[in-house]
Amino acid sequence: MSTPEADHSRDPCPIVILNDFGGAYAMGVIGGSIWHGIKGFRNSPYGERRIGALAAIKARAPVVGGNFGVWGGLFSFYDCSIKAIRKREDAWNAIMAGFCVGGSLAVRGGRKHMLNSAITCAIFLGILEGVGMMFQRYMAYANKPVPMPVPDQGGATPLGA
Amino acid sequence: MWLFGGSTKKEETAPAASAAADVPATAAPAAYDDTQLNISAFPVFDASKLHPLAGLDKDLEYLDLDEEKLNTVEGTGNGILPSRGWTDDLCYGTGTLYVSGLGLGGLVGLNEGLKHLPQGSVDPVTGAVKAAPFKLKLNTVLNQVTKHGPHVGNSAGVLGLLYNIIDSSLDAYRGRHDDLNSLASGALAGAIFKSTSGPKAMAYSTGLMTVAAAAWCGFKRMLN
Repeated sequence: MSTPEADHSRDPCPIVILNDFGGAYAMGVIGGSIWHGIKGFRNSPYGERRIGALAAIKARAPVVGGNFGVWGGLFSFYDCSIKAIRKREDAWNAIMAGFCVGGSLAVRGGRKHMLNSAITCAIFLGILEGVGMMFQRYMAYANKPVPMPVPDQGGATPLGA
Repeated sequence: MWLFGGSTKKEETAPAASAAADVPATAAPAAYDDTQLNISAFPVFDASKLHPLAGLDKDLEYLDLDEEKLNTVEGTGNGILPSRGWTDDLCYGTGTLYVSGLGLGGLVGLNEGLKHLPQGSVDPVTGAVKAAPFKLKLNTVLNQVTKHGPHVGNSAGVLGLLYNIIDSSLDAYRGRHDDLNSLASGALAGAIFKSTSGPKAMAYSTGLMTVAAAAWCGFKRMLN
């Protein structure tokens, strides 16, 4: 993490995997609570709507959280491993990590399924990285340094001219 | 090579440089000897001696950029990891509990799967015993692991999530972070977790989570 573009708001590599597991899990549980709460509420008969929402949240929100958590944690794990092997940080790390995650999650579906899933994940991560880069470039363009205004004094030659 | 970094390399090259500078001085005509600047008499530039206050003879120093961003609630900082605030506590707490639950549940599932391995079939005509194929056995074990692991992990993760959210809220409300908050949030998290299973289960879960929170507080004190 000594490259100048390293993100200092995150912890160093092996321990950050736990952080990502927890963050992704929490995101999944909270998002899943909202999603399945609304879904359970709408799909229940009148009079049982609140209890239906609660039952749906209880049954499904932790599962959504688990899916998110495993995805995020595995991604972080592969990202750290690839960083340690390649000793550099660029967009290819994320794409390769996405490829590995897709393959790992589909490991019980057979070789073809694994490859398909891995490629889908890698493309998804590639799009994500590309959008991030475009955004970064746009921000750099919008905040580019402005040349100093030339003082408007006729006759006086500027220094160094 | 870092220009002003270590002084060791400069000292190694210094004698060689002066020796090289000696050669033209001795080879020059004697008439020029008194007027010529004796190059070898110049001290070799050593960055650390030129500017001792700059501390250039030390190694690279790293700036601790995150120092001012650490948690500011009174009583924090005695955890295992430095915390940047409630989001760090939440992520690490939940993640640790989730991963350990996943691992423990996976072990339980492994045990279950190995206990209930598919038996071989006996041919009714010949009476020969045919062992179950390896893939079937592997599938049984994996099914059990993936059934128990996520279940335990999800429950532990939800408990950790509730505990950390309540703990951080109590910290912010009371303005300090101590064992009382931990115990209270453990009890509340346990109560909420079993809130739909009747008062008896709620009481059990509350008691268990309070004990777990107390154990965690004791563990932290033991480490410090």
